[in-house]
Amino acid sequence: MHPSQRKLYCQVITPEKVVYSDEVDMVVATGIDGEFGILPLHTPLIALLKIGELRVKKGENQEYIAVHGGYLEVLEDKVTVLTEAAELASQIDVERAKKAREEAERKLSEEGVSSEDLEKARRSLEKALLRLKVSSRKPR
Amino acid sequence: MKARQIRRRIKSVQSTQQITKTMEMVAAAKIKKAQARIEAARPYALKMVELLEDVSAFTTDFTHPLLEKHEPPKKSLLLLITSNRGLCGSFNSNLIKKTDLILKREKEAGLETKLGVVGRKGINYYRFAGPNPYKEFVFGEEPSYFEVKEVADFLIDEYVQWKADRVILVFNHFKSLSEQRPIEYRLLPIGEAEAEEKREARTEFLFEPKAEEVLSSLLPIYIETLVFRACLESAASEQAARRLAMKNATDNAEEMIKSLTLAFNKARQAQITQEIAEISTCAEAIKYIEERKRGG
Repeated sequence: MHPSQRKLYCQVITPEKVVYSDEVDMVVATGIDGEFGILPLHTPLIALLKIGELRVKKGENQEYIAVHGGYLEVLEDKVTVLTEAAELASQIDVERAKKAREEAERKLSEEGVSSEDLEKARRSLEKALLRLKVSSRKPR
Repeated sequence: MKARQIRRRIKSVQSTQQITKTMEMVAAAKIKKAQARIEAARPYALKMVELLEDVSAFTTDFTHPLLEKHEPPKKSLLLLITSNRGLCGSFNSNLIKKTDLILKREKEAGLETKLGVVGRKGINYYRFAGPNPYKEFVFGEEPSYFEVKEVADFLIDEYVQWKADRVILVFNHFKSLSEQRPIEYRLLPIGEAEAEEKREARTEFLFEPKAEEVLSSLLPIYIETLVFRACLESAASEQAARRLAMKNATDNAEEMIKSLTLAFNKARQAQITQEIAEISTCAEAIKYIEERKRGG
Protein backbone atom coordinates (compact mmCIF):
# COMPACT_ATOMS: atom_id res chain seq x y z
CA MET A 1 0.00 0.00 0.00
CA HIS A 2 1.25 3.45 -0.81
CA PRO A 3 2.03 5.47 2.31
CA SER A 4 -0.42 8.18 1.36
CA GLN A 5 -3.23 5.66 1.39
CA ARG A 6 -2.48 4.55 4.90
CA LYS A 7 -4.78 5.75 7.64
CA LEU A 8 -4.31 6.45 11.29
CA TYR A 9 -6.73 5.13 13.83
CA CYS A 10 -7.28 7.88 16.35
CA GLN A 11 -8.93 7.50 19.74
CA VAL A 12 -9.44 10.07 22.47
CA ILE A 13 -10.25 8.41 25.77
CA THR A 14 -11.25 9.99 29.10
CA PRO A 15 -11.98 8.21 32.38
CA GLU A 16 -15.69 8.64 31.73
CA LYS A 17 -15.96 7.73 28.06
CA VAL A 18 -14.38 7.42 24.63
CA VAL A 19 -14.79 10.91 23.19
CA TYR A 20 -13.53 10.33 19.67
CA SER A 21 -12.73 7.27 17.64
CA ASP A 22 -12.23 7.28 13.90
CA GLU A 23 -9.91 6.61 10.98
CA VAL A 24 -8.06 9.76 10.06
CA ASP A 25 -5.23 11.08 7.88
CA MET A 26 -3.35 13.24 10.32
CA VAL A 27 -3.31 14.24 13.96
CA VAL A 28 -1.83 17.47 15.31
CA ALA A 29 -1.39 17.67 19.08
CA THR A 30 -0.05 20.18 21.59
CA GLY A 31 2.95 18.66 23.34
CA ILE A 32 4.76 20.25 26.21
CA ASP A 33 7.34 21.65 23.79
CA GLY A 34 4.85 22.79 21.20
CA GLU A 35 2.68 21.38 18.48
CA PHE A 36 3.59 18.26 16.58
CA GLY A 37 1.93 16.35 13.81
CA ILE A 38 1.49 12.61 13.39
CA LEU A 39 1.18 10.96 10.02
CA PRO A 40 0.85 7.27 9.22
CA LEU A 41 4.04 5.20 9.65
CA HIS A 42 5.13 7.41 12.53
CA THR A 43 7.68 5.91 14.86
CA PRO A 44 6.28 4.60 18.19
CA LEU A 45 5.96 7.56 20.54
CA ILE A 46 4.76 8.36 24.01
CA ALA A 47 4.32 12.07 24.66
CA LEU A 48 2.98 14.27 27.42
CA LEU A 49 0.36 16.75 26.30
CA LYS A 50 -0.32 20.26 27.50
CA ILE A 51 -3.79 21.65 27.96
CA GLY A 52 -4.37 22.38 24.32
CA GLU A 53 -6.06 21.71 21.06
CA LEU A 54 -6.01 18.47 19.14
CA ARG A 55 -6.64 18.72 15.42
CA VAL A 56 -7.70 15.70 13.48
CA LYS A 57 -7.61 15.82 9.70
CA LYS A 58 -9.79 13.52 7.76
CA GLY A 59 -9.84 14.17 4.02
CA GLU A 60 -10.99 17.75 3.65
CA ASN A 61 -12.47 17.91 7.12
CA GLN A 62 -10.83 18.96 10.31
CA GLU A 63 -12.14 18.17 13.74
CA TYR A 64 -11.04 20.24 16.73
CA ILE A 65 -10.91 18.68 20.15
CA ALA A 66 -10.12 20.44 23.42
CA VAL A 67 -7.78 18.17 25.34
CA HIS A 68 -7.01 18.88 28.98
CA GLY A 69 -3.49 17.53 29.20
CA GLY A 70 -2.67 13.85 29.31
CA TYR A 71 -0.75 11.46 27.09
CA LEU A 72 -0.48 10.59 23.47
CA GLU A 73 0.73 7.23 22.31
CA VAL A 74 1.53 6.27 18.75
CA LEU A 75 1.93 2.62 17.94
CA GLU A 76 1.45 0.88 14.60
CA ASP A 77 -0.67 3.63 13.06
CA LYS A 78 -2.82 3.88 16.16
CA VAL A 79 -2.91 7.21 17.95
CA THR A 80 -4.34 7.03 21.43
CA VAL A 81 -4.89 10.11 23.56
CA LEU A 82 -5.50 9.53 27.26
CA THR A 83 -6.75 12.60 29.03
CA GLU A 84 -8.76 13.64 32.08
CA ALA A 85 -11.24 15.55 29.97
CA ALA A 86 -11.80 16.22 26.29
CA GLU A 87 -14.56 17.84 24.29
CA LEU A 88 -15.29 18.06 20.61
CA ALA A 89 -15.68 21.64 19.41
CA SER A 90 -19.40 21.05 18.88
CA GLN A 91 -19.91 19.81 22.44
CA ILE A 92 -18.44 22.80 24.20
CA ASP A 93 -20.74 24.89 26.35
CA VAL A 94 -19.58 28.37 25.36
CA GLU A 95 -21.64 30.21 27.99
CA ARG A 96 -20.19 28.08 30.73
CA ALA A 97 -16.66 28.57 29.46
CA LYS A 98 -17.17 32.34 29.38
CA LYS A 99 -18.45 32.31 32.92
CA ALA A 100 -15.50 30.19 34.02
CA ARG A 101 -13.12 32.64 32.35
CA GLU A 102 -14.66 35.63 34.11
CA GLU A 103 -14.63 33.81 37.40
CA ALA A 104 -10.97 32.84 37.01
CA GLU A 105 -9.93 36.32 35.89
CA ARG A 106 -11.69 37.85 38.88
CA LYS A 107 -9.89 35.45 41.21
CA LEU A 108 -6.54 36.23 39.62
CA SER A 109 -7.01 39.98 39.99
CA GLU A 110 -8.09 39.75 43.62
CA GLU A 111 -5.65 40.33 46.41
CA GLY A 112 -4.80 38.03 49.24
CA VAL A 113 -5.67 34.84 47.40
CA SER A 114 -3.69 31.83 48.61
CA SER A 115 -1.13 30.46 46.18
CA GLU A 116 -3.06 27.22 46.03
CA ASP A 117 -6.24 29.00 44.89
CA LEU A 118 -4.21 31.09 42.51
CA GLU A 119 -2.87 27.98 40.89
CA LYS A 120 -6.39 26.58 40.64
CA ALA A 121 -7.67 29.77 39.07
CA ARG A 122 -4.80 29.76 36.59
CA ARG A 123 -5.63 26.23 35.55
CA SER A 124 -9.31 26.91 35.14
CA LEU A 125 -8.54 30.04 33.15
CA GLU A 126 -6.31 28.00 30.89
CA LYS A 127 -9.08 25.45 30.40
CA ALA A 128 -11.73 28.09 29.76
CA LEU A 129 -9.54 29.82 27.19
CA LEU A 130 -8.89 26.51 25.46
CA ARG A 131 -12.61 25.75 25.32
CA LEU A 132 -13.36 29.16 23.86
CA LYS A 133 -10.57 28.82 21.33
CA VAL A 134 -11.64 25.38 20.18
CA SER A 135 -15.33 26.24 20.05
CA SER A 136 -14.61 29.29 17.87
CA ARG A 137 -13.05 27.07 15.22
CA LYS A 138 -15.36 26.68 12.31
CA PRO A 139 -15.73 23.14 11.15
CA ARG A 140 -14.13 22.89 7.78
CA MET B 1 -59.46 -6.33 65.88
CA LYS B 2 -62.42 -4.67 64.24
CA ALA B 3 -62.89 -5.08 60.51
CA ARG B 4 -62.68 -1.35 59.97
CA GLN B 5 -59.32 -1.11 61.72
CA ILE B 6 -57.96 -3.99 59.68
CA ARG B 7 -59.12 -2.33 56.50
CA ARG B 8 -57.21 0.78 57.47
CA ARG B 9 -54.07 -1.29 58.04
CA ILE B 10 -54.40 -2.90 54.63
CA LYS B 11 -54.69 0.49 52.99
CA SER B 12 -51.57 1.78 54.69
CA VAL B 13 -49.56 -1.33 53.84
CA GLN B 14 -50.74 -1.02 50.26
CA SER B 15 -49.51 2.53 49.95
CA THR B 16 -46.17 1.57 51.50
CA GLN B 17 -45.92 -1.22 48.99
CA GLN B 18 -46.52 1.21 46.19
CA ILE B 19 -43.59 3.30 47.37
CA THR B 20 -41.20 0.38 47.75
CA LYS B 21 -42.21 -0.93 44.35
CA THR B 22 -41.47 2.41 42.74
CA MET B 23 -38.13 2.64 44.52
CA GLU B 24 -37.31 -0.83 43.31
CA MET B 25 -37.96 0.16 39.73
CA VAL B 26 -36.04 3.41 40.03
CA ALA B 27 -33.06 1.55 41.48
CA ALA B 28 -33.25 -1.02 38.68
CA ALA B 29 -32.99 1.76 36.11
CA LYS B 30 -30.13 3.38 37.99
CA ILE B 31 -28.14 0.15 38.18
CA LYS B 32 -28.15 -0.01 34.38
CA LYS B 33 -26.76 3.49 34.21
CA ALA B 34 -24.17 2.82 36.90
CA GLN B 35 -23.07 -0.36 35.16
CA ALA B 36 -22.75 1.51 31.89
CA ARG B 37 -20.49 4.00 33.66
CA ILE B 38 -18.23 1.18 34.88
CA GLU B 39 -18.09 -0.14 31.32
CA ALA B 40 -17.34 3.31 29.92
CA ALA B 41 -14.44 3.74 32.34
CA ARG B 42 -12.80 0.50 31.27
CA PRO B 43 -11.01 1.61 28.06
CA TYR B 44 -9.21 4.38 29.92
CA ALA B 45 -8.20 2.14 32.80
CA LEU B 46 -6.93 -0.61 30.50
CA LYS B 47 -4.97 1.79 28.34
CA MET B 48 -3.56 3.44 31.44
CA VAL B 49 -2.13 0.14 32.68
CA GLU B 50 -0.71 -0.58 29.23
CA LEU B 51 0.92 2.80 29.10
CA LEU B 52 2.33 2.35 32.59
CA GLU B 53 3.88 -0.95 31.57
CA ASP B 54 5.31 0.47 28.36
CA VAL B 55 6.85 3.42 30.13
CA SER B 56 8.22 1.49 33.09
CA ALA B 57 9.97 -0.93 30.70
CA PHE B 58 12.18 1.99 29.66
CA THR B 59 13.12 3.28 33.08
CA THR B 60 15.89 2.00 35.25
CA ASP B 61 16.54 2.86 38.88
CA PHE B 62 13.35 4.84 38.92
CA THR B 63 12.31 6.32 42.22
CA HIS B 64 9.13 8.14 43.03
CA PRO B 65 7.54 9.15 46.35
CA LEU B 66 4.55 6.95 45.55
CA LEU B 67 6.74 3.89 45.08
CA GLU B 68 8.75 4.52 48.21
CA LYS B 69 7.98 2.18 51.07
CA HIS B 70 7.60 3.66 54.52
CA GLU B 71 9.26 1.11 56.76
CA PRO B 72 8.19 0.32 59.36
CA PRO B 73 4.66 1.67 58.83
CA LYS B 74 3.36 3.70 61.74
CA LYS B 75 0.38 5.54 60.36
CA SER B 76 -2.44 4.07 58.39
CA LEU B 77 -5.13 5.91 56.46
CA LEU B 78 -8.44 4.26 55.68
CA LEU B 79 -10.82 5.54 53.07
CA LEU B 80 -14.34 4.27 53.49
CA ILE B 81 -16.82 4.71 50.64
CA THR B 82 -20.44 4.72 51.81
CA SER B 83 -23.67 6.04 50.32
CA ASN B 84 -25.50 9.27 50.98
CA ARG B 85 -28.89 7.71 51.37
CA GLY B 86 -30.26 4.77 53.27
CA LEU B 87 -32.93 2.21 52.41
CA CYS B 88 -30.35 0.02 50.76
CA GLY B 89 -30.32 -3.02 52.99
CA SER B 90 -27.01 -3.94 54.56
CA PHE B 91 -24.97 -1.90 52.07
CA ASN B 92 -23.61 0.53 54.65
CA SER B 93 -23.84 -1.61 57.77
CA ASN B 94 -21.68 -4.40 56.29
CA LEU B 95 -19.18 -1.82 55.17
CA ILE B 96 -19.03 -0.26 58.62
CA LYS B 97 -18.66 -3.66 60.23
CA LYS B 98 -15.72 -4.39 57.95
CA THR B 99 -14.19 -0.99 58.66
CA ASP B 100 -14.49 -1.49 62.41
CA LEU B 101 -12.66 -4.81 62.06
CA ILE B 102 -9.88 -3.19 60.07
CA LEU B 103 -9.61 -0.32 62.54
CA LYS B 104 -9.25 -2.84 65.32
CA ARG B 105 -6.67 -4.84 63.38
CA GLU B 106 -4.56 -1.78 62.57
CA LYS B 107 -4.73 -0.67 66.18
CA GLU B 108 -3.59 -4.06 67.38
CA ALA B 109 -0.69 -3.89 64.94
CA GLY B 110 0.33 -0.71 66.74
CA LEU B 111 -0.59 1.64 63.91
CA GLU B 112 -2.02 5.06 64.34
CA THR B 113 -5.12 5.09 62.17
CA LYS B 114 -6.95 7.90 60.45
CA LEU B 115 -10.29 7.55 58.78
CA GLY B 116 -11.40 9.30 55.60
CA VAL B 117 -15.08 8.86 54.81
CA VAL B 118 -17.01 9.32 51.58
CA GLY B 119 -20.81 9.53 51.84
CA ARG B 120 -23.22 10.93 54.42
CA LYS B 121 -24.12 7.59 55.95
CA GLY B 122 -20.57 6.77 56.92
CA ILE B 123 -19.86 10.32 58.05
CA ASN B 124 -22.89 10.39 60.33
CA TYR B 125 -22.08 7.02 61.79
CA TYR B 126 -18.45 7.77 62.60
CA ARG B 127 -19.21 11.24 63.92
CA PHE B 128 -21.52 9.52 66.36
CA ALA B 129 -19.73 6.28 67.12
CA GLY B 130 -16.15 7.38 66.54
CA PRO B 131 -13.36 7.56 65.65
CA ASN B 132 -14.23 10.97 64.29
CA PRO B 133 -13.56 11.18 60.54
CA TYR B 134 -10.23 12.79 59.71
CA LYS B 135 -11.53 13.93 56.34
CA GLU B 136 -15.02 13.90 54.85
CA PHE B 137 -16.23 13.90 51.25
CA VAL B 138 -19.74 14.01 49.89
CA PHE B 139 -20.59 13.80 46.25
CA GLY B 140 -23.58 13.05 44.08
CA GLU B 141 -25.12 9.78 43.05
CA GLU B 142 -23.02 9.71 39.90
CA PRO B 143 -19.53 10.67 41.01
CA SER B 144 -17.64 12.54 38.31
CA TYR B 145 -13.95 12.00 37.69
CA PHE B 146 -13.16 15.46 38.98
CA GLU B 147 -14.97 14.92 42.26
CA VAL B 148 -13.14 11.66 42.79
CA LYS B 149 -9.81 13.15 41.72
CA GLU B 150 -10.00 15.45 44.71
CA VAL B 151 -10.26 12.46 47.02
CA ALA B 152 -7.41 10.65 45.26
CA ASP B 153 -5.19 13.73 45.38
CA PHE B 154 -5.85 14.05 49.09
CA LEU B 155 -4.76 10.43 49.61
CA ILE B 156 -1.65 10.95 47.47
CA ASP B 157 -0.71 14.09 49.41
CA GLU B 158 -1.06 12.30 52.72
CA TYR B 159 1.22 9.56 51.48
CA VAL B 160 3.95 11.62 49.87
CA GLN B 161 4.07 13.98 52.84
CA TRP B 162 4.56 10.99 55.10
CA LYS B 163 1.36 11.70 57.00
CA ALA B 164 0.28 8.18 56.14
CA ASP B 165 2.44 5.11 55.59
CA ARG B 166 -0.25 3.11 53.93
CA VAL B 167 -3.62 3.83 52.42
CA ILE B 168 -6.45 1.33 52.37
CA LEU B 169 -9.73 1.63 50.48
CA VAL B 170 -12.84 -0.01 51.91
CA PHE B 171 -15.79 -0.16 49.54
CA ASN B 172 -18.52 -2.39 48.16
CA HIS B 173 -17.19 -4.35 45.23
CA PHE B 174 -19.74 -4.81 42.45
CA LYS B 175 -19.35 -8.48 41.67
CA SER B 176 -22.66 -8.94 39.95
CA LEU B 177 -26.24 -7.73 40.14
CA SER B 178 -26.95 -10.14 42.96
CA GLU B 179 -23.61 -9.98 44.72
CA GLN B 180 -21.83 -7.03 46.19
CA ARG B 181 -19.45 -7.41 49.03
CA PRO B 182 -17.32 -5.09 51.10
CA ILE B 183 -13.64 -5.44 50.29
CA GLU B 184 -10.45 -3.75 51.37
CA TYR B 185 -7.90 -2.74 48.80
CA ARG B 186 -4.43 -1.51 49.55
CA LEU B 187 -3.97 1.54 47.42
CA LEU B 188 -0.59 2.72 48.66
CA PRO B 189 2.22 1.94 48.59
CA ILE B 190 1.79 0.73 45.05
CA GLY B 191 2.17 -3.03 45.28
CA GLU B 192 5.47 -4.60 44.42
CA ALA B 193 3.84 -6.84 41.86
CA GLU B 194 2.47 -3.84 40.01
CA ALA B 195 5.59 -1.72 40.14
CA GLU B 196 8.19 -4.38 39.51
CA GLU B 197 6.39 -6.03 36.66
CA LYS B 198 8.92 -5.33 34.00
CA ARG B 199 7.44 -6.58 30.84
CA GLU B 200 9.47 -6.88 27.69
CA ALA B 201 8.99 -3.64 25.84
CA ARG B 202 6.53 -4.01 23.01
CA THR B 203 8.67 -1.85 20.85
CA GLU B 204 11.25 0.89 20.99
CA PHE B 205 9.30 4.01 21.96
CA LEU B 206 10.34 7.57 21.56
CA PHE B 207 9.64 9.59 24.71
CA GLU B 208 8.72 13.18 24.93
CA PRO B 209 9.89 14.20 27.56
CA LYS B 210 12.07 11.44 29.10
CA ALA B 211 10.47 8.16 30.16
CA GLU B 212 11.18 8.94 33.82
CA GLU B 213 9.25 12.18 33.64
CA VAL B 214 6.32 10.56 31.89
CA LEU B 215 6.24 7.82 34.48
CA SER B 216 6.27 10.19 37.45
CA SER B 217 3.29 12.05 36.06
CA LEU B 218 1.49 8.80 35.28
CA LEU B 219 1.63 7.34 38.78
CA PRO B 220 -0.75 9.80 40.46
CA ILE B 221 -3.18 9.45 37.58
CA TYR B 222 -3.03 5.70 37.95
CA ILE B 223 -4.03 6.10 41.61
CA GLU B 224 -6.85 8.41 40.57
CA THR B 225 -8.26 5.84 38.16
CA LEU B 226 -8.18 3.19 40.88
CA VAL B 227 -10.13 5.39 43.29
CA PHE B 228 -12.53 6.39 40.52
CA ARG B 229 -13.16 2.75 39.73
CA ALA B 230 -13.89 2.04 43.41
CA CYS B 231 -16.38 4.90 43.53
CA LEU B 232 -18.15 3.73 40.39
CA GLU B 233 -18.40 0.21 41.75
CA SER B 234 -19.73 1.51 45.03
CA ALA B 235 -22.38 3.56 43.22
CA ALA B 236 -23.53 0.52 41.23
CA SER B 237 -23.49 -1.66 44.35
CA GLU B 238 -25.62 0.87 46.22
CA GLN B 239 -28.34 0.76 43.58
CA ALA B 240 -28.20 -3.03 43.38
CA ALA B 241 -28.48 -3.28 47.17
CA ARG B 242 -31.36 -0.83 47.20
CA ARG B 243 -33.20 -2.69 44.49
CA LEU B 244 -32.89 -5.94 46.42
CA ALA B 245 -33.95 -4.33 49.70
CA MET B 246 -36.96 -2.73 48.06
CA LYS B 247 -37.90 -5.95 46.31
CA ASN B 248 -37.87 -7.74 49.67
CA ALA B 249 -39.94 -4.96 51.20
CA THR B 250 -42.47 -5.20 48.38
CA ASP B 251 -42.69 -8.96 48.78
CA ASN B 252 -43.14 -8.63 52.52
CA ALA B 253 -45.88 -6.08 52.03
CA GLU B 254 -47.59 -8.46 49.65
CA GLU B 255 -47.55 -11.19 52.27
CA MET B 256 -48.78 -8.86 54.95
CA ILE B 257 -51.65 -7.72 52.77
CA LYS B 258 -52.60 -11.36 52.20
CA SER B 259 -52.72 -12.24 55.86
CA LEU B 260 -54.47 -8.99 56.74
CA THR B 261 -57.09 -9.66 54.08
CA LEU B 262 -57.66 -13.07 55.60
CA ALA B 263 -58.07 -11.53 59.04
CA PHE B 264 -60.34 -8.88 57.59
CA ASN B 265 -62.62 -11.49 56.00
CA LYS B 266 -62.77 -13.43 59.25
CA ALA B 267 -63.60 -10.32 61.21
CA ARG B 268 -66.25 -9.31 58.72
CA GLN B 269 -67.73 -12.80 58.83
CA ALA B 270 -67.81 -12.70 62.60
CA GLN B 271 -69.48 -9.33 62.54
CA ILE B 272 -72.18 -10.51 60.12
CA THR B 273 -72.80 -13.66 62.14
CA GLN B 274 -73.13 -11.59 65.25
CA GLU B 275 -75.53 -9.18 63.61
CA ILE B 276 -77.71 -12.03 62.34
CA ALA B 277 -77.72 -13.56 65.79
CA GLU B 278 -78.76 -10.23 67.28
CA ILE B 279 -81.54 -9.73 64.73
CA SER B 280 -82.95 -13.20 65.11
CA THR B 281 -82.81 -12.94 68.90
CA CYS B 282 -84.72 -9.68 68.62
CA ALA B 283 -87.30 -11.25 66.32
CA GLU B 284 -87.73 -14.16 68.71
CA ALA B 285 -88.16 -11.78 71.59
CA ILE B 286 -90.82 -9.72 69.81
CA LYS B 287 -92.70 -12.89 68.81
CA TYR B 288 -92.66 -14.05 72.44
CA ILE B 289 -93.97 -10.70 73.69
CA GLU B 290 -96.77 -10.59 71.12
CA GLU B 291 -97.81 -14.16 71.95
CA ARG B 292 -97.95 -13.22 75.62
CA LYS B 293 -100.15 -10.18 74.81
CA ARG B 294 -102.58 -12.23 72.73
CA GLY B 295 -102.66 -15.04 75.21
CA GLY B 296 -102.93 -12.63 78.15
